Amino acid sequence: MQNRNHIFSSITLIAAVGLLIFYGFTIFSGRSGRDENPFEYDVDSFKGADSSLIHYAEVQSIDFEGKKLTALTLNFKDELIVAAGREIFRIDSMFQSSLWITTQYPVRCLATDIEGLVYVGLENIVLVYHPDGSKQAEWDDFPRQAILTSIAVGDSHVYVADAGSRVVHYFNNSGKLITRLGEKDPVRNIPGFVIPSPYFDLCIAKNGSVWVVNPGRHTFENYLPSGDLVAQWGKTSMRIDGFSGCCNPTHIAMTPQGEFVTSEKGLERIKVYSPAGQLLSVVALPEQFDEGTVGLDLAVDSKGVIYVLDPSRERIRIFGKKEVS
Amino acid sequence: MENPSNNSKVTRRRFMRDSVRSVLALGIGAVSGLLIGRSTKQNIVWQLDPEKCVQCGRCATDCVLDESAVKCVHAYDVCGYCELCGGYSKPDAHELDTAAENQLCPTGAIQRSFIEDPYFEYTINEKLCIGCAKCVKGCGSFGNGSLYLQVRHDRCVNCNDCAIARNCPGEAFSRMPSDRPYLLKGEQGLT
Amino acid sequence: MKKLNINTSRAGLFLILFIVILMIGSSAFTQNRFPKPEFESDYQQSQTTTPDPQAQIYEVMDLFVLFLMLVLATYFAHRKRSRHALFILAIVSVIYFGFWRKGCVCSVGSLQNITLALFDKSFMIPVVVVLFFALPLIFTLFFGRTFCASVCPLGTVQELVLIRPMTLPKWLSRILGLFPYLYLGLTLLFAATGAAFLICRFDPFVAFFRMNGSLDMLILGAFFLVTSTVIGRPYCRFVCPYGVLLGWMSSLSRTHVTITPDECIKCRLCENACPYDAIQKPVPEQNPENRKTGLRRLKMLLLIAPLVILTLGWTFSRLHPLLSRVHYTVRLADQIQREDSGQTDLTTLESQGFRSSGTPTKVLYDEALRIQKQFNIGGWILGGFMGLVIIWQLVGVSIIRHRKDYEIDRFSCVSCARCFNYCPREKNKKKTKVNE
Repeated sequence: MQNRNHIFSSITLIAAVGLLIFYGFTIFSGRSGRDENPFEYDVDSFKGADSSLIHYAEVQSIDFEGKKLTALTLNFKDELIVAAGREIFRIDSMFQSSLWITTQYPVRCLATDIEGLVYVGLENIVLVYHPDGSKQAEWDDFPRQAILTSIAVGDSHVYVADAGSRVVHYFNNSGKLITRLGEKDPVRNIPGFVIPSPYFDLCIAKNGSVWVVNPGRHTFENYLPSGDLVAQWGKTSMRIDGFSGCCNPTHIAMTPQGEFVTSEKGLERIKVYSPAGQLLSVVALPEQFDEGTVGLDLAVDSKGVIYVLDPSRERIRIFGKKEVS
Repeated sequence: MENPSNNSKVTRRRFMRDSVRSVLALGIGAVSGLLIGRSTKQNIVWQLDPEKCVQCGRCATDCVLDESAVKCVHAYDVCGYCELCGGYSKPDAHELDTAAENQLCPTGAIQRSFIEDPYFEYTINEKLCIGCAKCVKGCGSFGNGSLYLQVRHDRCVNCNDCAIARNCPGEAFSRMPSDRPYLLKGEQGLT
Repeated sequence: MKKLNINTSRAGLFLILFIVILMIGSSAFTQNRFPKPEFESDYQQSQTTTPDPQAQIYEVMDLFVLFLMLVLATYFAHRKRSRHALFILAIVSVIYFGFWRKGCVCSVGSLQNITLALFDKSFMIPVVVVLFFALPLIFTLFFGRTFCASVCPLGTVQELVLIRPMTLPKWLSRILGLFPYLYLGLTLLFAATGAAFLICRFDPFVAFFRMNGSLDMLILGAFFLVTSTVIGRPYCRFVCPYGVLLGWMSSLSRTHVTITPDECIKCRLCENACPYDAIQKPVPEQNPENRKTGLRRLKMLLLIAPLVILTLGWTFSRLHPLLSRVHYTVRLADQIQREDSGQTDLTTLESQGFRSSGTPTKVLYDEALRIQKQFNIGGWILGGFMGLVIIWQLVGVSIIRHRKDYEIDRFSCVSCARCFNYCPREKNKKKTKVNE
């Protein structure tokens, strides 16, 4: 009897010491459990690309530390104009930036025309500035819910993308609203823009028509000034040749050859497509950006160099074509 | 007949005990009074800040309950009602349909219903949701971030030391007064 | 008139302020929100449901039940001297506080909330928690540990499952009895620094009450449940930090239950009645020789006391790098530091989370250093406290106090009333009562 007690208490004691050591270890080492996420949302397999497609490399960058970059554009002299919040900067050929204009509300988009006029899109106003910095006009003929996300200027056309009202406003270059493009119209076979988040970009083609991203459908749509939809292309896929997520591409720009440069969120990548929608080359892959970067605004200069606005790293990143070896 | 010296010893002892006891009682009273002075009448409950959430999956694994008290909720007025939903479809889904093999959710807890072209509504079946945040990550990186996690107070047993809070890599958990027990996104969160 | 002017201008100022605030608010509003689709069908947007937390009234009820049960337990122990009634009350406690209210909020754990609230002013503490902490202490200060007997759900679980008590060797229970002091010290240190709530983390029975819990908690629960069947209240005696406080209160309590209802006849019948080692045998008057050596030992002890206290204080303060690792921030800073210096290639979910938050590492390191400093000071205090405890225990062993009767050790007695029925005087009294 005594002996049994003895054995039992010894076992208990050993167990107690064991538990003490075990729990002591768990508390001092931090976690007892596993350290990987069994429910990881994994898109790693879509982050790569065939190296033969990567024709571009980052050549330079311009730092804007501490600035909340929102938009960029190039004027006809290939000079960069960059917006960060309410401030607009000019960047000279030596990549020195200087504050140029301060607006009343945050800048959402920028564009220039061949005379050097700068069009500044705020939430629901477009301001037109002379190259000397004086304000020339203020266009406010927009619906109440307007959220302007992009402006493109041609010889006699100004197209303004409005994510809030899901239309493109078409003005003449004196600021008179002519019509709105892209409203859903089954008779004219216009599907209507699907814009789940405020990313809605457009660019103007040589013939004066406008290419508009329909981000919810992952398509590019080509509208004539008359409002007719004349062409469209797009592919929904996470693979390198497609666009995915709720709203991609978020930004586009056009090269001198009429090719499209696109940027995406979710899988942060920049690619070049032919006018007909064929993937031509890859500029940058997700590994080159911080995870979760959104708002990679794009511009292309006359030599085909691609300027990317990276709001997460607070800099303008410049990608040039790699030398063909 | 008691020894008088012994007797005085006893009373002295008693006096000592009485005074120490009074001091202790006063001490407990003072500490309680001090704390009651700045205490809340509210209960305290746990909640997680969706802005700090890093979708690590521990809400699903670390809750003391078998079925976690943390579940996914949907901010309808943040949602884009997309056909291709990063929170609903697997990244490599072949078709944008409701087939099980194309769904991202490991328990099939997200229900998708067609509203009108091109919009779809997504709702969470909380009975199935395990709070793993897989859809939160998908929705956050490709969509508007309308899917997010919250501690559901009909399930939470309100541990004094929340096991998930202890291990949360985003340090997203905090104690909240029970009259505002949720940190909601969208319009509901603003009121 | 002039005064009125001031008032109106001030009102105007407030109005402007109000409008400004409103504008800021509304602009944030439009920023936050992107217009959702304009549905052509009559789709009605759903709302996110927000189930309410448990109603306030339950907590108030808990408090009321706690008070009522304290009164009842005290009454049953002191007045009725009824083990039977206390046992039933213990069952009620396990059912109410344990299985129904799932073991939270409990007085034992409230110790940590109190400590953290004292050190961190931003920590919110509900009134109920303060009272859960204070009420049992006050009761114990006046009547002994009747709280432990039948109110504390952790104690009563062990009380109920104790089937075949066996006594541990005295030396062993003395050594194990030191652990609660260490645990109390660590608990206070970790709670004060906001590092951890040790008591809750290693709560032995909460998983049992919830019938749900992590594996390590279930193992702990099973260990204590099994052990409790043969060793009386192992958690209360060898772990519970709140029990230390209660023990101190009880030692000084105004009244306390006694083994015998009137006088001790030294029949030795109660000698083995207590499964908690709380019955002290009579100690005969010593001869002067023993007394002298006892005094000499006491003097020696008091002489080395400062040395012991300082040595232990120093030792524990040297342990601060280890102790502070319990704090999340310190662990994270260590991980980040090892990653940045290339000592490890493995990132953790924590370090990934930290890096995605964008907080500068310097902020993290400074915070970690501040916490480590707190642990350094806390280590001195903890070590010093342990030194004091050890000296005090040794003093207790060296001073052999003369004791005529079988008496209760007020520190460890939980007023469970087991011993009452062993006393023939008790039986006698009951019999006369019945006869009357």
